[in-house]
Amino acid sequence: MDAAALTDHLVAELGDAVIPVVEHDLLTVTVAPGDWRRVAERLRTDPNLGCDYFEFLSGVDEEAEGLGVLLHVYSTGRRHHVQLRTIVPREGGSLPTVSDLWFGANWHERETAELFGIEFEGHPNPGKLLLPEEFVGYPLRKEFALLTREAKPWPGAKEPE
Amino acid sequence: MSISIDQQLGGTTFQSADGTGVGIIVHDKADQELRTADMTLNVGPQHPATHGVLRVIVTLDGERIESAEPVIGYMHRSFEKLAEYRDYRQIIALVNRHDWVSSVCNELGVALLVEKQMGLEVPERATWIRMLMAEWTRILNHLMFVGSYPLELGAITPMFYAFREREEIQALMEWITGGRLHLTYCRVGGLKQDLPRGALDMSRSLVPRLRERIDEYETLVLGNEIFHARAKGVGVLPPGVACSYGASGPILQASGVAEDSRKTEPYCFYDQVEFDVPVGTNGDSYDRFAILLARMRESLKLIEQIHERIPAGPISVKLPKVVKAPEGTAYVRTENPLGQLSYYLVSHGEKTPWRLKMRTASFNNVSVLPYLLQGSMLSDMIAIMGSVFFIVGDIDR
Repeated sequence: MDAAALTDHLVAELGDAVIPVVEHDLLTVTVAPGDWRRVAERLRTDPNLGCDYFEFLSGVDEEAEGLGVLLHVYSTGRRHHVQLRTIVPREGGSLPTVSDLWFGANWHERETAELFGIEFEGHPNPGKLLLPEEFVGYPLRKEFALLTREAKPWPGAKEPE
Repeated sequence: MSISIDQQLGGTTFQSADGTGVGIIVHDKADQELRTADMTLNVGPQHPATHGVLRVIVTLDGERIESAEPVIGYMHRSFEKLAEYRDYRQIIALVNRHDWVSSVCNELGVALLVEKQMGLEVPERATWIRMLMAEWTRILNHLMFVGSYPLELGAITPMFYAFREREEIQALMEWITGGRLHLTYCRVGGLKQDLPRGALDMSRSLVPRLRERIDEYETLVLGNEIFHARAKGVGVLPPGVACSYGASGPILQASGVAEDSRKTEPYCFYDQVEFDVPVGTNGDSYDRFAILLARMRESLKLIEQIHERIPAGPISVKLPKVVKAPEGTAYVRTENPLGQLSYYLVSHGEKTPWRLKMRTASFNNVSVLPYLLQGSMLSDMIAIMGSVFFIVGDIDR
């Protein structure tokens, strides 16, 4: 299915629960955190969607809005991509795990949890993945400063920021 | 673990010094034959089969692996955070470092991503040359693993052969780009420089030579009885599980899924050239290795076609002094040597990305290890780990 057909299908099935946006032929549907698990299950099990291939799960710092979480899945049979997006609050944000729907989500959720500070409820093996256990802070949040840049200014002629 | 039963039978349990393992001393001689306790074994972080620093905590019941947990992050350099402080031209030099044996392929992904968001048309010549370089990089990368995998199984010779071939290709790449490992040849909107005179002839002359050598590997390694005994039927990955983990490249194709973004969602001019996506039937270590050789053959086929297709013309478009990607998001997926590489960009219209997600092939491929290792024998562990073909920098980023 192309992005337009996917949009029609998802809106027909889920109604107001999803807000579709298409950019460069890629469909991203935004849902409330409460609908995260329900829509993810739909992507996996709906025979018309059949998103069997796990691409990635990650976060985006949306500043005042909160923390965006993005799940990107693909259908090997139908060759279409769908991105599921939600926003959780910066403090105490949590989402139900999808690691039982796609095994690959296991590590991606651990990575997102440690780098953004989002809890994934029901995760079979929570705990730091890339960072040491004693690490404090969430490096991919915007308020977390890049230490090398704090200690020493950029040596180039022009600051890339 | 059955500590209480052992205690009932008169055994003594003890904890290892670091608190990770439990051992039992059994006093009764008859019990000695019956009692077993789980043993925790640390493999790595420094192990020749890990191509970097990867640690695996293995829980053993006798020689059978009960569970295996890879411990990653020893090489985490936070590329995604760094990218938020670099402009788009600098990011190209940054990304050829996560998978250090596929540098042009990584650069290509970022170049395509930024061009997509900026709506840039790249000259045809540049695109064809990019494809040529990407395919040679693929062969370089696969040669690395064609050499190292038999080495991990105890055969030293293929490593020397593979590096002899690598050196010839390296000479070509070095001549074209001036770089050896981190080529930094792609630019947003084109290439760093044009091909030097005679480079295409050299590239042409390498193809038949390599084809012969691949035949040689096939008889030398794939036809080897010991290799069969070590790799066949070991570490079987069913296609459904592979997709669910997001495995890609040789690992996914060996399981019988013909997923290769050059074919399924062509980028550059891959839709204008002829090639096949090789697939395996059993999804075992042997198939994964065989797929490497088959992929190299397909790349040679591609290179031959590309030679004839490179048109004359400019190799890059003129860019403004400051490259800014317009506000919005973009996603690009390319087939890297080790599997699928995706970049996801969130731009706020500035010189630097707001967020650049790197979905690297090795991260998802290595996350399959607990599944593959569980229930297998300890002696097969290296035969399985080696066949997942990963670069630690590509896992940790």
